[in-house]
Amino acid sequence: MKWIACELHSHTFHSDGRQTLHELAAGAKALGFDCIALTDHNTMTGLMDKETVQDETGITIISGMEWTTFYGHMATIGVKEFVDWRPVGPGDIHAGLKRVHASGGIAGMAHPFRMGSPICTGCFWEFKIEDWNDLDYIEVWSGTFPSIKSDNARAFQLWTDKLNEGYRIAATSGRDWHVQSTTDEPVSVTYLSLEEGDAQATEKAVRAVAAGRASVTIGPLLTMDIVCGGSAYGIGSIISREALEFGCSVNLFADFSVRQGLWELTDQTYSLRVVGNTGIIHECSITRENSYCQFEMNGIEAIWARAELWGIVRGVHVLIAFTNAVYFD
Amino acid sequence: MRRILLETQGEVSPVCSKSHITYKFHISEPGGKLCIHFAYGPKNLEDRELSKTLVYESIEKYIEPSRRELVQAKWESYLPLKNLITVSVDDPDSHRGAGHRHDPEQLLHLSMKDASPGLISGPIHSGMWEVTLSLHAVVTDQCKFSLNIWQEEE
Repeated sequence: MKWIACELHSHTFHSDGRQTLHELAAGAKALGFDCIALTDHNTMTGLMDKETVQDETGITIISGMEWTTFYGHMATIGVKEFVDWRPVGPGDIHAGLKRVHASGGIAGMAHPFRMGSPICTGCFWEFKIEDWNDLDYIEVWSGTFPSIKSDNARAFQLWTDKLNEGYRIAATSGRDWHVQSTTDEPVSVTYLSLEEGDAQATEKAVRAVAAGRASVTIGPLLTMDIVCGGSAYGIGSIISREALEFGCSVNLFADFSVRQGLWELTDQTYSLRVVGNTGIIHECSITRENSYCQFEMNGIEAIWARAELWGIVRGVHVLIAFTNAVYFD
Repeated sequence: MRRILLETQGEVSPVCSKSHITYKFHISEPGGKLCIHFAYGPKNLEDRELSKTLVYESIEKYIEPSRRELVQAKWESYLPLKNLITVSVDDPDSHRGAGHRHDPEQLLHLSMKDASPGLISGPIHSGMWEVTLSLHAVVTDQCKFSLNIWQEEE
């Protein structure tokens, strides 16, 4: 498995962005990203030069579109062609999701708790969801320095609530990047773990989001691997109760070497936690120099668990990174 | 030569928010360039009291109770409230893109050779075409718009 750094929410001048695809991709490259999803509002024409821009910049570009509807913004990625958002009313999102999936794509709520109409039209998610299994992911972190924003805290809590209810749903970040302007705020990255094989990188990236093989951060890449009876399980995996009976070793690692020089955290002792629906399962302290943590897990009541890295950023105690969940069945 | 296909004006009000208006028109001679001029106004809601009422309604609807007072204190940061109407195009067979942007006046075109950003270049077929106005938000008491569509040689 290989981890790649992705920006999953971006725009060009083909909708209301103020950048070309080339400027966007070059900007992403400069920030240490390997991959972007272009999610222009209600159009896919910005992808016209995709192959050329990929060749010129080395950035993998995922086809996407942000359904910019009256009742919510829904990021769709991996779609092969335009899927019409206009027929969808507040009670019809499942029909829309079905069409997105039929087009080979996946869909996630974008910034679901951002202030809605008329301040930001359709930005607050108001679609009625009958079955959360139909939704592939939630963009729980939106914008720069996302972990201090109250809208994101609500989205993160929504994700946690759904995990607690037993749904297996992924979580991502997205800058909602409209223009190449410098920011001194921390930029979030969604790292995706790509499977081996001959499929295209874009296809692998979309499958990684769908499977929850994702780790989100404003600094180090946080990983969690669980070994039970000789079998290894990564983020997004489902571990059976039978496998858990062997006793499991949980390996946590914060990789501070990623995107070297492109983010900054003061030297400190961080809190690395594994949490689940039953609360904190394990907690350890790490530093930049000693960023491994391992513990034995024998028997577990939780139905899911994720890793969280907490520390001080700009004087505030915040969530710095989190993994997607591992599930226990 | 310019062949006029549709010329219309209209007026919408806040109750029209979150609705679409679709114009269907016929192209009898294929080819050339299809041009669309769309404009609407006013763009901004200038009525300060009404703006405050609308912002407070949004705060009530979208912000959790514990933070409402905090957000109310900076209600002016959300001004000016704006009308937003976007344009999308469908030819007789397929979707031909959208111009989702905030400009209140847009001159768009599409032809075999090229198209405005957001729209899809390709053949200008004969048959029934559609231009849809998506009314994301109408905040002013009235919002007037004009839509002119014509075909010309490329």
